[in-house]
Amino acid sequence: MVNIIVCIKQVFDPEAPVSAYKIDADAKRVVLKGIPPVLSPFDENALEAALRIKDAHDSKITVLSAGRSLSKPVLMKSLAVGADELLLLEDSAFEEMDSYATAFTLASAIRKLGQYDLILTGREAANTNAGTVGSGIAEILGIPSITIVRKVELNDGKVIAERVVSDGYEVIEAPLPSLITVSNELGELRYATVKELVASRKKPIMTWNAQELGVEPPQMRQARLLSLFIPQKESRCEMIEGETAEEMGANLALKLREAKIT
Amino acid sequence: MSNEVVTNKQLYDFITRCGRCAQCTYGYKETEFELVCPIYKRFNFFTYSLGGMAQLARALDEGKIGLTESVSDVFYHCTGCGACGEMCARVDFRDMVELQHELRAKCVEVGQVPIAHMVTIEGLKKDDNMLQKPKAERGKWAEGLGVKDVTKEKAEVYYHAGCQYCFDEELWTVARTAVNLLKKAGVDVGIAGKDETCCGGRAFEMGYQGEFIKYAESNMEMLRTAGIKTLVTSCSDCYYAFKVLYDMHGKKGDLEVFHITEYLDRLIREGKLKLTKSVPLTVTYHDPCHLGRKIEPWIRQEGKLKAGEIYQPPRDILNSIPGLKLIEMPRIKGNAWCCGAGGGVIDAYPDFALWTALERIDEAKSTGAEAMITACPWCKRNFSDALKEGNGRLKIYDIVELVEQAL
Repeated sequence: MVNIIVCIKQVFDPEAPVSAYKIDADAKRVVLKGIPPVLSPFDENALEAALRIKDAHDSKITVLSAGRSLSKPVLMKSLAVGADELLLLEDSAFEEMDSYATAFTLASAIRKLGQYDLILTGREAANTNAGTVGSGIAEILGIPSITIVRKVELNDGKVIAERVVSDGYEVIEAPLPSLITVSNELGELRYATVKELVASRKKPIMTWNAQELGVEPPQMRQARLLSLFIPQKESRCEMIEGETAEEMGANLALKLREAKIT
Repeated sequence: MSNEVVTNKQLYDFITRCGRCAQCTYGYKETEFELVCPIYKRFNFFTYSLGGMAQLARALDEGKIGLTESVSDVFYHCTGCGACGEMCARVDFRDMVELQHELRAKCVEVGQVPIAHMVTIEGLKKDDNMLQKPKAERGKWAEGLGVKDVTKEKAEVYYHAGCQYCFDEELWTVARTAVNLLKKAGVDVGIAGKDETCCGGRAFEMGYQGEFIKYAESNMEMLRTAGIKTLVTSCSDCYYAFKVLYDMHGKKGDLEVFHITEYLDRLIREGKLKLTKSVPLTVTYHDPCHLGRKIEPWIRQEGKLKAGEIYQPPRDILNSIPGLKLIEMPRIKGNAWCCGAGGGVIDAYPDFALWTALERIDEAKSTGAEAMITACPWCKRNFSDALKEGNGRLKIYDIVELVEQAL
């Protein structure tokens, strides 16, 4: 049996319209109204990769998520589409962790779980877009990692992955256990029906806090949020004068040169 | 306030002042003090009422209880019909349904929502409709109708069909009839066909306010690009969304919004539609919540939002049909009993939705009417489904079907 662990972050729906987001600069937090938490989209791609392996091989998929006040109904979607168990790392210490702290916490949980052949994460989270947690977990666990992957297959005890590069893709082979960060090119997560979501309630959900995990949160945090703001965007339109199209063109060229654009 | 569950100060004042008198659950003397709150009548427990939800909201706000699945379950069982706001003596400021909006938005933020709603909203995000149907099929209802496409050519009036009419094949005839009636009356009407999207109103009522804003912005952008100033819809949910919710969120601009009953009533008065054929039928009329009391509170909004309830236009239309006899049910207009489909209840609790519809069907039958008329696809769908459950004989018509018969 192949033991697969998929790390999933719960984020606020990144597809919500910009106008629905507000910033509380004093509290350094994003204020949202009526915007649901969702599985981070790249992590959904990672779960889909795991499910495709499960379609072809006898596998067990454990979904792992860390945070504070995690939404079980939202994370249970992973069970509904075919994951076997859900492990929630829930503690006030796990709120708004930086990339290192997140990698450290998840790696600690994976170590405690013990058995793993393949660890899958999204290429980056939809809220921070840092893209470092996956590689961080691999580094802490001392296993190989392949990033930004569009296809994953297992063959003869090895993982074969297609890694997206700017002009195509690379095919990389690695021994198990390995960590893969999955990109959107792999494909969307399969749809969960109401029946599957209801049935998912019977699947096991475990919860560990910081103490049970045996990690010391204050030592983990390496980054601190200094300020949070929406950048001001200013645009100015200047009409270029001229008697003829040629003259207007010449004046435009002069303006561009003055602005040091050409 | 501690947990900021109810951020609206007026609403917070209300939840701390509620005396738990239960007046929010039953209608006044014109209904012989009948119950008008579906959840209260169904569960017979005060928690399932406006007053009960106000107490829950206060307890949540003060951190005495958590927003658990069972608390969320109470909020989502409510159809948001707004009868409580009509009845409560303390409500003198805004629509009480706003409390439900606030509470459901909070449920969405913590992910404590009915599973069926999560699936519906995923379908909405993927296919721009509330029925989990492929978006490519949206324009099929209008095939062969010969009506303008506002995304390609100019039209004076835009007809918005809405998700239910676009994808519920049994209801296509209602939307097609509405467009044909407008054309017969000489109205320069157009539709958006496959490019139409959901109004977002139901998403808002389910608590997905961010999703609603997305649709409000994209719909208004489409209408601005098409140069549309007047919108007509046969769906009462869409009417409420465009008329009230878009305005509440500063998205409506100067768009004029009409429900088909208002617009047809005007065309009949102007003599552009002449109802001459006799329709020998005894009917009763069901007031959709989104055409009545959910609109009415905005009249009190310091003159800014003047939507006005649509109680009289459909009755005037029915009374102008030769041979047709209208008999009223005991619970009408502000006291009307909800059809049961509102606020996402039809998705999350279909059995409760049917129970509510069956109560209304019994009430309609008690008048001796042969048919119940409504003006909303959600009501018609739910009543039709309830009748299939074996509640005897009663015809359900949309009002435009009778207008067509009378032409």
